[in-house]
Amino acid sequence: MSFKTAMEGYAKYEGLGNWAFILHRLAGLGVILFLIIHVLDTAAVYFKPSLYADAVSLYRSPVFGIGEIILVLCVIYHGLNGLRIIYFDMINPNLWTIEINRKSVIWTWIITLVLWLPAAVVMGSHIIEHLGS
Amino acid sequence: MLEKVTLKILRYNPEKDAQPHYERYTVEAEPTDRILDVLEKIKAYQDGTLTFRRSCAHGVCGSCAMRINGRNRLACKTLLKTLDTSKEITVEPILGLPRVKDLIVDMTTFFDNYKKVMPYFINDEPLPEDGRERLQSPEERARFDDTTKCILCGACTTACPTFWADNSYVGPSAIVNAHRFIFDSRDRAAAERLKILAGDSGVFRCRTAFNCTEACPREIKITKAIAEVKRAIITGRLD
Repeated sequence: MSFKTAMEGYAKYEGLGNWAFILHRLAGLGVILFLIIHVLDTAAVYFKPSLYADAVSLYRSPVFGIGEIILVLCVIYHGLNGLRIIYFDMINPNLWTIEINRKSVIWTWIITLVLWLPAAVVMGSHIIEHLGS
Repeated sequence: MLEKVTLKILRYNPEKDAQPHYERYTVEAEPTDRILDVLEKIKAYQDGTLTFRRSCAHGVCGSCAMRINGRNRLACKTLLKTLDTSKEITVEPILGLPRVKDLIVDMTTFFDNYKKVMPYFINDEPLPEDGRERLQSPEERARFDDTTKCILCGACTTACPTFWADNSYVGPSAIVNAHRFIFDSRDRAAAERLKILAGDSGVFRCRTAFNCTEACPREIKITKAIAEVKRAIITGRLD
């Protein structure tokens, strides 16, 4: 009906599937934001190389480091959940049952965390090392 | 055993209220009472202005779909004992359609979308020689059995994030009812319906949030039905 109605539904509607969907969208927005920034800063190499150098030094700040850790989470979750949906929707629609969907959503979150945590630890330790030096 | 139950109901009177607001009502009810029973008690004994749709009260007519504790359900099929009655129970109108009054929404868009998929039997071929039934095997009948159960309550369509954002999307209910005829071996308009559903407001607007299947009071596997329609469009096959 409208953007406002959609936001009310996103915020208030209950259900595991709804959460999986909202997180999928947020993760997708996170990845898109990164891609836009990445395309813009890479384009600066051609148009204004000094700006590119400034951008790279800015990316070494801890704030961007934390952003990169979140970006990895977004990429892993969006990718895994996307594969789950493609498999259910295009290959085996019989899996679209309430029980299987709930279980698969939770498993997607668990696998996402298992894949993300080691990367987060390595990237986080780099940030701490960088701060120390 | 009677217990005190508090309902927090989203009220809206277009003649008086600029915005919807919540009002609380406490009533005594049995755990085996349904939300519809509690609403009836409130209307009869506390506030006669409370407005909601109801008809059969037995989960068949589809009149009393509403958001109960944040998810779409039929008030007549929701027993108090399935909810946490130690807390307030929130009752709101279904989302994504214009509010008329209190828990009543204007279903016009919902039924317009339903009509778009031609939800009726189409076969202009001559009748069989005996002039009676167009027979089909039990397997052919079973192919679309699940989607015959829809009662058009709107719980699925108004649980759909795509529909919240854009009413032109036909919505899960219309697709379910299209599925019922697309996969019927006796029907002859599957190609036409698939063409409609392949369009901008058709099945590919589905984002598989799965709210529809969770909301369906008839336990129809809606996301599965939508996936089958998508596959029929992609492959051109109705197997």
